[in-house]
Amino acid sequence: MTDETTTAQPQQGSTDGEPAIRVVREWQEVWHRFAANRLALLGLVLVAALLVTAAFAPWIAPYDPLRQDLMHTIEPPSGAHLFGTDALGRDQLSRVVYGTRIAVIVGLVSILLTLIIGIALGAVAGYFGRFYDTVVMRGADIFFAFPLLIGAIIIITVTGRGIWPVVLSLAVFGWATVARLLRSSVLSAREMDYVHAARALGAGHLRVIVRHILPNSIAPVIIYGTFNVGTAVVAEASLSFLGVGVSPQVPEWGNMLAAGRGFIGVDDYMWMLPSLAVVLTTLGFIFVGDGVRDALDPKLR
Amino acid sequence: MGRYLLRRLGQMIVVLLGATLILFACLFVIPGDPVGSLAGSERARDPAVVKELREHYGLDKPLAVQYVTYIGHLVQGDMGEDYIQRRPVSEILGPKLVNTSKLAVAAIVFDVLIGAGVGALAALRRYSLWDTAVTLVTTVLVGFPTFVIGMLLLNLFAVQLKWVPVIGDASDPAQVILPAITLAIIDAALVARLMRGTMLEVLRADYVKTAIAKGVPRRQVLLKHVLRNSVIPVVTYIGISFGGLLGGAIITETIFNWDGVGMAMSTAIQQQNNPIVVGVATWGVGIFVVLNLVVDLMYAMLDPRIRLS
Amino acid sequence: MKLTKALQWTAVAAATALAVSACSSGSADKHPGSTVAKNGGTFRLGIVEPTAIDPYNTQESEGTLVTQNLFTGLTSVSADGKISNALAESRTPNDDCSQWTFKIKGGTTFSNGEPVDAAAFVRGWTRAAAKDAASDVAYHLGEIDGFKELNSGTAVTFRGLSAPDATTLVVKMAIPDCEFDVRTFHTVFSPVPQVAGAASNKAYNDQPIGNGPFKMEGPWQHNSKITLVRNDSYGLTKAHLDRIEISILNAANADQLEYQGFQAGQFDWARMPTEQLTAAKATYKAKGDWYEWDANGMNYLLPMDFNGPTKSKEAREAISYAIDRDAIAKGVFKGFRTSADSLVPPAFVDAYQKGVCASCVKQDKDKAKQLAAQAGLTPGTKLYFGYNTGGGHDPWVQAVAAQLGDVLGLDVHIDGIPFKQLLDKEKTPDATGIYRAAWGADYPTPGNFLNPLLATSSIDEDQTTHKVQGDNRGRYSNPAFDALLHQATGTKDLAARTKLYQQAEKIAIGDDLALIPLWNRSQQRVANNEKWANLTYDFSENPTLATASLK
Repeated sequence: MTDETTTAQPQQGSTDGEPAIRVVREWQEVWHRFAANRLALLGLVLVAALLVTAAFAPWIAPYDPLRQDLMHTIEPPSGAHLFGTDALGRDQLSRVVYGTRIAVIVGLVSILLTLIIGIALGAVAGYFGRFYDTVVMRGADIFFAFPLLIGAIIIITVTGRGIWPVVLSLAVFGWATVARLLRSSVLSAREMDYVHAARALGAGHLRVIVRHILPNSIAPVIIYGTFNVGTAVVAEASLSFLGVGVSPQVPEWGNMLAAGRGFIGVDDYMWMLPSLAVVLTTLGFIFVGDGVRDALDPKLR
Repeated sequence: MGRYLLRRLGQMIVVLLGATLILFACLFVIPGDPVGSLAGSERARDPAVVKELREHYGLDKPLAVQYVTYIGHLVQGDMGEDYIQRRPVSEILGPKLVNTSKLAVAAIVFDVLIGAGVGALAALRRYSLWDTAVTLVTTVLVGFPTFVIGMLLLNLFAVQLKWVPVIGDASDPAQVILPAITLAIIDAALVARLMRGTMLEVLRADYVKTAIAKGVPRRQVLLKHVLRNSVIPVVTYIGISFGGLLGGAIITETIFNWDGVGMAMSTAIQQQNNPIVVGVATWGVGIFVVLNLVVDLMYAMLDPRIRLS
Repeated sequence: MKLTKALQWTAVAAATALAVSACSSGSADKHPGSTVAKNGGTFRLGIVEPTAIDPYNTQESEGTLVTQNLFTGLTSVSADGKISNALAESRTPNDDCSQWTFKIKGGTTFSNGEPVDAAAFVRGWTRAAAKDAASDVAYHLGEIDGFKELNSGTAVTFRGLSAPDATTLVVKMAIPDCEFDVRTFHTVFSPVPQVAGAASNKAYNDQPIGNGPFKMEGPWQHNSKITLVRNDSYGLTKAHLDRIEISILNAANADQLEYQGFQAGQFDWARMPTEQLTAAKATYKAKGDWYEWDANGMNYLLPMDFNGPTKSKEAREAISYAIDRDAIAKGVFKGFRTSADSLVPPAFVDAYQKGVCASCVKQDKDKAKQLAAQAGLTPGTKLYFGYNTGGGHDPWVQAVAAQLGDVLGLDVHIDGIPFKQLLDKEKTPDATGIYRAAWGADYPTPGNFLNPLLATSSIDEDQTTHKVQGDNRGRYSNPAFDALLHQATGTKDLAARTKLYQQAEKIAIGDDLALIPLWNRSQQRVANNEKWANLTYDFSENPTLATASLK
C-alpha cells in the first residue's frame, strides 16, 4: 500500500478544483531532475542490476539452481557455495540469481497488466462519464475494497498455484487504484481547450483519448506503477510464504523464505539472502518511484 | 449532508453486494467437494448422509439461489455454518474479530503515535541528524516484507531475549505489542514519511506564516494550524491502509499465533472451509467500506473547506 | 484411522500409536524415579485444534491426548505396545472369538458421581455408533453385532452389547475377531455418563464429563485453549498434576510455535520443526530433555495400483529401486528418519520382517531401469506426484521427484495441494500416479496396517460416484491376501496369528509392492525434565500426564 502516500486522492483532486498533478512534457527536463536525485539514481542502479541479473542468470549463477546434492545439504556459506546450500543441497546463490527472473516477471508483468486494465477502464470512465463512469467506478470500489492478499488468495484457490495465477490476481485486485487515478486526471484534462478543439475538428473518441487526453493524464499512473513493482514482488513472496504461491521447485524468493523461515536462529543464511534480495528490489523500485514522482511533479518536492 | 450520507450508503451496499458475489462465484468453482470432506473424508459414509449434508448447507441448489439465500441471512447477521466445527460462522468469527480489532487498534495507535510523531519531529527539525535518521530508517523499512519483520522480532524478543512470550494470548494486553508492531511498522514508516512531507508543506503555507507574523505563540500555531492540517492525509492514509492491515494480519497472526480472523483465514484456506473464507472476506470488505465513510466524514470535520456534496 | 489432521499439517505429525520405547538412540536418560510423587504444578503444552475431545469422535493424536486424560476405558497400552487392563479385570473370548466377556472393576465413578458400570460402556459405544453421531471413528466398533443397523439408523439399540450385571459386559461379534480386546484401547470405546446424552449434545461435546485422571475446567475454548484439572475422585491411580493448560496453536506452524514456546519456557513438552532438530538435539540431549524413538507408523508412497503408469508391479518396483532412501534420510532429514524396508514397521518387534520390500533396501539404478523398460515406463513418461501442503513435505518430495527424473527419465509433476483436495483426488476412479501418504496404527496389531490399507473390503467403492470410501485408495485387491487376513483375525494364538499377518505382508508388499514404503515413523520431543519427574511419551506419542509430577 505504498501507493496512497503522496499521490493525491481522486476526490481530493476534484474537490480541490485543481489538477492533481501538473503534467510536465519536457522529458529532458524530467530526466535532468531525476538524475539530480541521488537516491533515485541508486534505485535505478538496483533496478538495472536486477534486470541484468535476470537476463543473464545462466551466466551469473555458479550452479544449476535445480541441481540437488543430497551429500551437501544445509551447508553454511563456503568457497564452493558463497551463500551456502539449501535443504536439498541446491546452491542458494544460484537460486537467488534465478529468482530475479520470477521477481521481474511477476513485478513487471503484473504492474503492466494492472496499468493496461486500469488505464483502459479509467479513461473510459473519465472520458465518457455518466453511465460508464458509474459502472466502472462502482466496479473499482468493489475490487478496491478487497485486501490485496485476501483477493489474491481467493483467485489462486480457484486457479491453482503458479506464476500466472499470481500475476493475474495481483492485476485483478490492483487495477482499481489505477483506474481511479487516471479517471480523475482525465476529468480535468477533458475540459482543456485543446481537447475541445480536437473534438470540434472531428477527431474520433479513441484518437482524442490516445493522442490528447492520455499523454496529459498519465503521470500519476506512471508514478503509481513504479512504486508498486516492489509491492507486487513482496505480495508474491507473501503468497509463497503462505503456501499459495509458485511451486516449491521454482527458484523464487518467497519460496526460499518460506523454506528458510524454519531455520531462523539456527541457520540464518537460509532466509537472509532471499530477504535481502526482496528488500533491495523493493527499495530499488521505491527509490525510482520517488525519483519519477519528484521529477514529474516538482511541486511536491 | 443527509443526501450525501444516503448516497454513500447506497454505494456501500453496491460494493458489498458486488464483493460477496465475486467471492461466491469464485468459491463455487473451487475443485474438491467440501461435503465430501465434511462427511468424514476417511470413512465410508452413507450417501444419504452426504445428500442430507448437501441439502443442509444448500449446496444442492443453483449458485444464484445460494447467493440470494446467503445475502438474506447476511442481512440478519447470519453468515452460515462452517464445515469443520459445524457452528455458526458469526459465532466462530465474533471473538476472533475482537482479537483482530485489538491488534488493529494497537497497530493504528502505533501508526499515529510513533509514525506521525516521528514524522512531525523530523519535519520540525529538518536537516537535523534526527531527520536524516528518520528518512533513512523509514526509507529502508518500507522495503521489508511483513513476515521478515515478524520473524525477526519474534526471534529476537521472544526466543532470544525472552522479554515477551512466544505464544500470543489475545486476552493479555501486554502480548499485543510484538504483533502490533509487526503489523504496523511498515505503515508507520510510510505515515512518518507522509507526515514529514505534508508538515513541511503546511509550515510553508501562507496562513502559518501569517499566524507567526501576527505573533501567535509557536506552540499554538503548531497545535492549531500545523498539526491539524498535516494530519488530514494521515487520517486518509490510515483509512485506506486498513485493507492492507487485514492482509498483513493474515501473516502476522500466523506468525504470532494470534487468535484472530487472519489466522482463521489462513487455516480455513488449508481446510477448504469456505464459509469462513467468505465470512472473513465479507467482514474485511464491510469494515473497509464503513471505515472509508468514517474517514471521509472525519475529513470534513478536520477541514472545513471540504463540503460534503 | 490416523491419516489425521496432524498429518495434514506437520512433518512430525503425531498419530495414535503404539510406540516402542527407546529403540533408537537418545531416549531421555533420566527415567522415572520412584520417590514419592507430590501433588501440584501446572503442565503446559501446545496442540493444534482437535476434531473432537468427546470420545464419540476423537480421532487424531491431539484429541486423543485430551480424551485419554478425561476418560479411562477397558484397556491401556504401554509405550512399547503391551496391552493391559485398565478398568477391565478380565477379557475373555469364547472358543471361536464370536463373543467377548469383560469383567469391569466395580465402584468407580464419573467425576459427576455417576457410576462407571457395564451400562456406561454400553451407553458410550451405542452413542458413538448411532447414525446421528456421524462419527468418523465409529467404524472401530464395526465388527460388533448390530453395528450396521444402529449405524444406518434402522435400530436405536446396540444388539450385540449386553450388561447382565453392573460389572459384566458381554459383546457379541458379527465378525469373529480374536484380537478385539486390543481395539478397546481406542477412545471410541470409552464409557460415558447419562448426562452425555446423544452425540449431538454440544454442551457435552465441548465439556465432556468423564472418568479419567483429569477433568475439564470450563468448556473447550475453540482455537484457543483447553484446561484440565486433576480428578480427585479418579478410580485408578490418581494423577499428581494440579492442572494441564493446553494452548491451541495455529496448525500452519504449530511445531515451530511449540518449540519456540518450549525455548521461552512457556511449554513443558514440544515437537520441533524438522529444520531445528539438529540444533535442538545438540542443546537438549545433554540436559536429558531429549526424546527420540521410532514409533509405530510408516511413511510411504501410495501408487494407483489399478490405473495409469503405476498399474504394473514392475513399474512400482522400478520407482522403488530408483529412490535413494538413505541419501534422503541423511541429506534431507539429517538422520532424523530411517529408511523403511517393510510396511509393518520395525516397532512391531514380533511381526516386522526385515527387507520384505526388496526394492526398498538399496537404490539400484540398473534394476530400476530394467524393470521400467519391462513395464513400459519409458523416459519422458508423465508421472503425477501429489502431496499435501503445510506438512513440511516440500523438500523430500522434490528430492524423490529428482531421483525419479535422473534414474528413470520420468517427467514427474509434483503437485502440492491442501490435504482434503489430495484425499479427494486419491479417491477418484481416474486417479493416476503416486501420492504421499502415512499411517499410524490405532492399536498394536499388524492387522491395523494390512486390513485398512490393502484389503479388498477397504476399497468400498461408492456405487454412484465410483469413489473409494475406505482407506485402500490404491485399490489393491488380491484374494490370497484377503484370505490370509481373514484367517489371522480368526486365530486365537498370538504367534500363529502373527505368522499369518507376515505371510499376508509378503504377498502385498514383497510380491506385489502395493504400497511403496519410504521411511519409518521417527519421533522427537523435548521435555522439561528439570521440572517434571515420571514424564515420558506414551504409545500415542503424547506426554504421560497421568503419571508426571513435580520434582
